[in-house]
Amino acid sequence: MAASIATLRQSVSDWIFRAQVPESPPVTLGQRRVFILPARQGYFFGLTLLVLLAASINYALSLGFVLTFTLASMAGVAMLHTWRNLAHLRLRPGRSDPVFAGEMAHFTVTIETPSMPRYSIAMRRKDAEPVYTDVGGGEAAAVALPVSASRRGRVPCGRIEVFTRYPVGLFHAWSYVDFGQTLLVYPRPDHTAGTPPAQSKSYNEEGIPVAGEEEFNMLRAYRAGDAPKLIAWKALAREQGLLTKEFSAMASSELWLDWDDARGPDVEARLSVLAHWVLQAEGFGQSFGLRIPGVEIPPDRGEAHRTRCLEALALFETPR
Amino acid sequence: MSAAAFKTKVGSPQLDVRNVLWLLAAMIFVVGPHLFRMPNWLGIFFLAVVAWRAWISWYALRSPPRPLMWAITLLALVGVWVGFGRIVGREGGVALLILMAALKLLEMRNERDVILSIYLGFFLVLTNFLFSQSIPLGLYMIVCVWIFVATLVGFNRVGRSPTLKERLRPAAALLLQAMPLMVAFFILFPRTTGPLWALPTDQRTGQTGLSDTMTPGNIANLIKSESIAFRAAFEDGLPPYRTLYWRGPVMVDFDGSTWKMRNYVSGGRTDHARREQAVRYTVNLEPTGKNWLFALDVPGSIPAGATLLSDMQMRYRRPLTERLRYDMTSYLDYRFGLGANKAQLEAALKFDEARNPRTVALGRQWAAENPDPRAVLSKAAVLYNSGTFAYTLEPPLLNRQDPFDDFLFNSKQGFCEHYAGSFTLLMRAAGVPARVVTGYQGGEVNPLNGELIVRQADAHAWSEIWIAEQGWVRVDPTASVSPLRVENGVNAAMGPIGILPALIQADPTGLIGNVRYAWHAMNSQWDEWVVGYNLDRQRQFFTNLGYPSVDWSTLGFWLVTAIIGVGIAVSIGLLLHERPPRREASLLAWNRFCAKMASAGLARAPQEGPLDYLARLTNARPALAAPAREITQRYIDARYGSGASRDELRALARMVREFRAA
Repeated sequence: MAASIATLRQSVSDWIFRAQVPESPPVTLGQRRVFILPARQGYFFGLTLLVLLAASINYALSLGFVLTFTLASMAGVAMLHTWRNLAHLRLRPGRSDPVFAGEMAHFTVTIETPSMPRYSIAMRRKDAEPVYTDVGGGEAAAVALPVSASRRGRVPCGRIEVFTRYPVGLFHAWSYVDFGQTLLVYPRPDHTAGTPPAQSKSYNEEGIPVAGEEEFNMLRAYRAGDAPKLIAWKALAREQGLLTKEFSAMASSELWLDWDDARGPDVEARLSVLAHWVLQAEGFGQSFGLRIPGVEIPPDRGEAHRTRCLEALALFETPR
Repeated sequence: MSAAAFKTKVGSPQLDVRNVLWLLAAMIFVVGPHLFRMPNWLGIFFLAVVAWRAWISWYALRSPPRPLMWAITLLALVGVWVGFGRIVGREGGVALLILMAALKLLEMRNERDVILSIYLGFFLVLTNFLFSQSIPLGLYMIVCVWIFVATLVGFNRVGRSPTLKERLRPAAALLLQAMPLMVAFFILFPRTTGPLWALPTDQRTGQTGLSDTMTPGNIANLIKSESIAFRAAFEDGLPPYRTLYWRGPVMVDFDGSTWKMRNYVSGGRTDHARREQAVRYTVNLEPTGKNWLFALDVPGSIPAGATLLSDMQMRYRRPLTERLRYDMTSYLDYRFGLGANKAQLEAALKFDEARNPRTVALGRQWAAENPDPRAVLSKAAVLYNSGTFAYTLEPPLLNRQDPFDDFLFNSKQGFCEHYAGSFTLLMRAAGVPARVVTGYQGGEVNPLNGELIVRQADAHAWSEIWIAEQGWVRVDPTASVSPLRVENGVNAAMGPIGILPALIQADPTGLIGNVRYAWHAMNSQWDEWVVGYNLDRQRQFFTNLGYPSVDWSTLGFWLVTAIIGVGIAVSIGLLLHERPPRREASLLAWNRFCAKMASAGLARAPQEGPLDYLARLTNARPALAAPAREITQRYIDARYGSGASRDELRALARMVREFRAA
């Protein structure tokens, strides 16, 4: 019964407060989209006022009337203040960095106030704990809404409730905003997966470099994306500029991370193994390619390449 | 303890220690005035619990376990029961509320408990008004409410504990902006007559004032009280001081030491043989908890809700639990009671034969010599004028069995009740019907508003005797002993009583006296228009505004108007906060300048900076170089430099307005 009422309330509120989704940033919380109702404390406060009023009438306490009316008027003024604390805020979606499954991800939203400082502005995603922030006058504040990324894929942020009860908590002013933000969750890397198996003849004889086997080949100019551990720091110290150490193994071999090589009980397990290999290969500065059903990414190296591979893994067989 | 450690200390999961300390401070503030009225154990208990709570919060300890809480609660309940004899009523109820508030503080765990405590605090503010509604207490309570609202603000600043200013400022803003609406509510809210439910009987236990009995010594205690009994404002100037006899309880029953008022006196017709020298005045009577009213001898008109009894005593329909204001007419020259009935006269002759035998014998002796009341009266006058009697505030303790014998024949030192009591007894013994009248005599004129302030110190007792052709005649034996008392008041007769009158007399500049009078005048206005604002006052207010009658719809209309008005004003005030920051004004001026130049054929290119533009303008129009440079420089300073004050911006705007490009 209670559950069905809750559902009904939710759907009614969705219908009343629906906004065009997604909205194009920045979204200004105009007067028409800031709602306000007494908070539970507010109703309780009203009850207190009634008791105070009854006592004032009964004992003919003029100063009791003064107290009661002061508090009642304060509540009225507080309603305007609470509403005002939220109205005219400008919201923009911020960058939401991808994470690996099992980690904490954050949707960031930037709040700007045109001039008035705002206090205790709360934001929350549905069914999540609110995050509070203050915004200085004419400044902007970034709010990170945490989400626990349990599964790989694209996580939609959904509708965000922005609300405040400042200054006295008697009223709850709120508004909804939905930027259609999403966040990419990579498969959880399987650190127990070891190294990719030796490459078959059709590729290259050598595997990824193993300690002791690698041979220093040459120094070449730094290219964006080179692993920091390959940078010739000594050369840099000698003011020879930013150089990257190249090893023969790396230079000569091409590593393919193949779906068929990743053993696992199910799809997720295989993706986890592949994710681990991607990270490992990238860590060694190895050039590698990725081959999973439906996707083939030619060998390359660097941050962008790694991201591209992980993205492919994250979105493998997920509906677009 | 370092500041960082301080910040992270948390009382319980959500309760920031600083917020809790604020709440505790607010509670101490609001309970403070009560602690002076309540028994010491209660104050110690309250402060101990608050300190305990502070300790718990500071060291982030657990709240006391439930069984312990129950035990303490029970202890507190028993304490109130034993200490006050009951847990309802004013003192007991307030004591209970204080204890419960303290215990709530102790077991406060989450936000909801905090809110409950704060609302309890608001209620505690109200309980203070049960005891006093004076200006100082009102101001003090405003501060208390401010602290409570600031506490509320603190608890609603989630995430970061606000600074002192960040708490007090928003709270002050809220309360100040609430003031106009509060005033509107106060004036317009419909007032009712009488309480909603029966008041506890100890409502006014702390009241000082006349009682319905008179024993030698009890008025002398009143004399030490500076508190005000009532104020009277005369329409046509103050009557002579010696005529200011404010009639109160009339006491007929006498048991040998105590004079007692009759609870039931026939209303009946009062027969006035003569009524002249009418005086009209308004009385503002402080609550007495009793139902009698005071009026100058003798009352003419009777205020609404009061009845005039056959002994010229006025009784109100219910005990006065609030200040009462009534208009009176009295007649200073009068003759009444010529046709007093037999029962009334017989009651005024009764006394206990066995007590005060010497006094009774003296009265009888006078009657034997000459039974005419006038002759008896003259003998009494001789006795009291003999010079052996002294008027004193500290009379010696009298014999309990025969107090008036002791007074008349031994000590001969007494206060008004000794004189009035012994005189009345003498008269009765001599066969002259007599009774004691208590009330006030005189008063103090406030030169600032002409009001007469009558204090408890002005309490007095005199006698009335009945003479066949004259009816009831006032005789004040005290006047023969101490004429100053009746001519100039008690302070003149006794020397200054109490510290304040002494100070005033010692102050040669009269400054203290004037400050006191100003304070009284202010209090009078406060009592009349704020504390005493009731249904009548409300009607009067609207009559003054030109509304012949006030009903709910008129009040409602003005109330709604006030709410809307204040709502709009506050909204506008809040929206004005949103005006563009100051620098923008300079941009407006600059754009206007560019527009003027553009219409003169020298439009600024979109990518052109102010200095480049200025250089181009100076080349193209050397004549305009000076004003253009000035404007550009001011614009750059305002927008990119250190900023500009309002005046500087205004100057820039004016410069641009006066600038002519042609």
